[in-house]
Amino acid sequence: MSASVGDYVEGNSLRLGGALGVVALAVVAALSLDVPLGEIVTVGFVERSLQAATPIALAAIGGLYAEKSGVFNIGLEGFMIFGAVNTAMLVWLVGGSSPTQGDLAVAMVGAVLVSLVYALVFAVFLIRYQANQIVAGLAVWFIGLGFGPFTAVLLWGNRNSPGLVSVQDVTVPVLADLPVVGPILFDTSPLVLLTAVVAVAAWVVLYRTKYGYWLQAAGENPEALDTAGVDVNRVRYAAVIFSGILAGLAGAVLLAHAGSFTGTGDTMVDGRGWIGIVAYLFGNYNPLGAAAAALLFGGLDMLQIQFQTAGIELPNRLVSLFPYIAVVVVLSVWGSTRMPAAVGEPYESED
Amino acid sequence: MLSASALQRLGIAVASTGLALLVGLVVVAATGYDPVQFLVDVFEGSFGDSTATARTLKFTTIFVLTGVAVAVAFRAGVFNIGVQGQFVVGGFATIVTILWLAPFLPGGAVGGVALMALGTVAAVLAGGAYAAIPGLLKAYADANEIITTIMLNFIAVGVVGFLVEGPFRGEGNRAPNTARLPEYVDLPRLVYDNPDFSVVGLAVAVVTVVIVAFVVGRTRFGYDLVTSGRQEAAATFSGVDPDRMVVATMTFSGMLAGVAGAVFAIMIQGYYSDPSGVATYGFDAIAVSLLAANNPLGVVPASLLFGGLDSAGSHISINSDLPVQLIDGIIGLVVLFVAAPELFRMAAERVGLGEDRR
Repeated sequence: MSASVGDYVEGNSLRLGGALGVVALAVVAALSLDVPLGEIVTVGFVERSLQAATPIALAAIGGLYAEKSGVFNIGLEGFMIFGAVNTAMLVWLVGGSSPTQGDLAVAMVGAVLVSLVYALVFAVFLIRYQANQIVAGLAVWFIGLGFGPFTAVLLWGNRNSPGLVSVQDVTVPVLADLPVVGPILFDTSPLVLLTAVVAVAAWVVLYRTKYGYWLQAAGENPEALDTAGVDVNRVRYAAVIFSGILAGLAGAVLLAHAGSFTGTGDTMVDGRGWIGIVAYLFGNYNPLGAAAAALLFGGLDMLQIQFQTAGIELPNRLVSLFPYIAVVVVLSVWGSTRMPAAVGEPYESED
Repeated sequence: MLSASALQRLGIAVASTGLALLVGLVVVAATGYDPVQFLVDVFEGSFGDSTATARTLKFTTIFVLTGVAVAVAFRAGVFNIGVQGQFVVGGFATIVTILWLAPFLPGGAVGGVALMALGTVAAVLAGGAYAAIPGLLKAYADANEIITTIMLNFIAVGVVGFLVEGPFRGEGNRAPNTARLPEYVDLPRLVYDNPDFSVVGLAVAVVTVVIVAFVVGRTRFGYDLVTSGRQEAAATFSGVDPDRMVVATMTFSGMLAGVAGAVFAIMIQGYYSDPSGVATYGFDAIAVSLLAANNPLGVVPASLLFGGLDSAGSHISINSDLPVQLIDGIIGLVVLFVAAPELFRMAAERVGLGEDRR
């Protein structure tokens, strides 16, 4: 059950090989079609892709924990909408029309705490009242789609918020001057670094600690865990609440990078929660794999800017569909991941 | 939910709706509006006068069709969350087909009926084909249909949006819309004098539901569909190929979503606009179907309820400064409560209602 990087490579050689193959194919196609590759893959592109990947990665890691424990949290998209709109609301309430970086930080923490409460209610529905996990998760999305813009209209009289505040890049002196690596790692959004820390920590906890072992057992073999004297449902509560918190944080990060809330159409979250689910499936339930998959989707999301600057004539509206198309392709080629054995089954202790 | 009796299901539906409305009222009060006025607005806006009733029936018509599309898939244990996308693709196909064929057919009533029939056929084919994609991917590549259908919704809205903005934009149109359908391609206005609603459209929807109920309840295909949803092993044992059944179910569901798209395009819009601005009938249909316990006939009353709610939403958006998105939130709450029948069973037991479980 423990996994080292070597084991991961071995167990997922097909996945990694496929991903490498796709990248190689893209490069060959780009070269043979005379696409200005140098103008597309720039330092700025990598930076933007990392920023675009962070919310997807955070949501994916949360969803992965829930599913590992045996509960399919399909409500990630909804929790992200709440995370984004609540952050926007709190920024506005705390900082008014000219909020500071401090106000943003306070708002993000506040929004994450609110997410904790929502996730607790959701967990009670799923675990105590054995709600249908898929239907209840969809419900969270619908509730978010309704109450997210509702909050915006109440506060600003419009489904979109005015420009609020976006997070400032953190520049590490000296290191930031390094070529390529400098601007990508040492002159970037602190939330990108936070996400990297979360991903590594999630990996360590899942594969190297007792809690991680419990979590995996709750999803694979709840009876055994129960016999060992650990309350299965308590583990599941913790995992579902954690997934809600991380999805809420994902929404908050999305807002902090964008600087304002968009509540029209599918809201600013625009399917990223769903893409998060695919990211952890593609990453084979491994937090680091999920983060890498999120980076792939984030990169696709940012391609439109690169295409524009490189002068490639492709309608914006179609380029923006790349991540969704990629999700369908990824899911079709690597769809048959091995889910934890007990996912979706409520557990009732015999005593 | 499968073990619940019809009466229990009805109870759960009523309790879910009541509880969701109650939460809605609390939100209304908490945000400083008058909950009593809200209730009055809901009733006036849904059935207050003939204008309101016609508007309610207009929404009901679309919900009946999208709702039954969701219901047949859910019955077979397939989660078609892509009804919205299939609805968009179908409606767009209707408009494009009619615009293409109009010059070749005579005008007047005869040509109008022929064009509407051909447009609907195009919608059925397009909706069915678009739904077949996630069906095939689920059956033969094991791709989770919940996620593929949601992605295909985004893709449908994006592609059709691109098409109406550019290649299919009507000549001289400032807005990203296709050209208008000819005057004679429209359903007759009977009983209600509302440009967006025709009793004929509602009749088409109800007849479709009756046909679907017959297919699901009385034919071999319907039997296989229901058994493959409830008891996959039994279905396989009786010679049903589960993979083919998944594809057939999705296609059937998408064809119904296509009919919904055609009725929407002909009866309500008369042209096609950017679908990112089109109401989310396909998503609300999931709530409709769940409330109806995925029973095709039950979809009709459930649609009337949601039609009324949406109509009330239109009324409120004109007559009150209360944000209308509240209605969408309430619909989401209905879904959440419907998902947890255990909640009501436990509550009913506590107050001594209902029979013992098991």
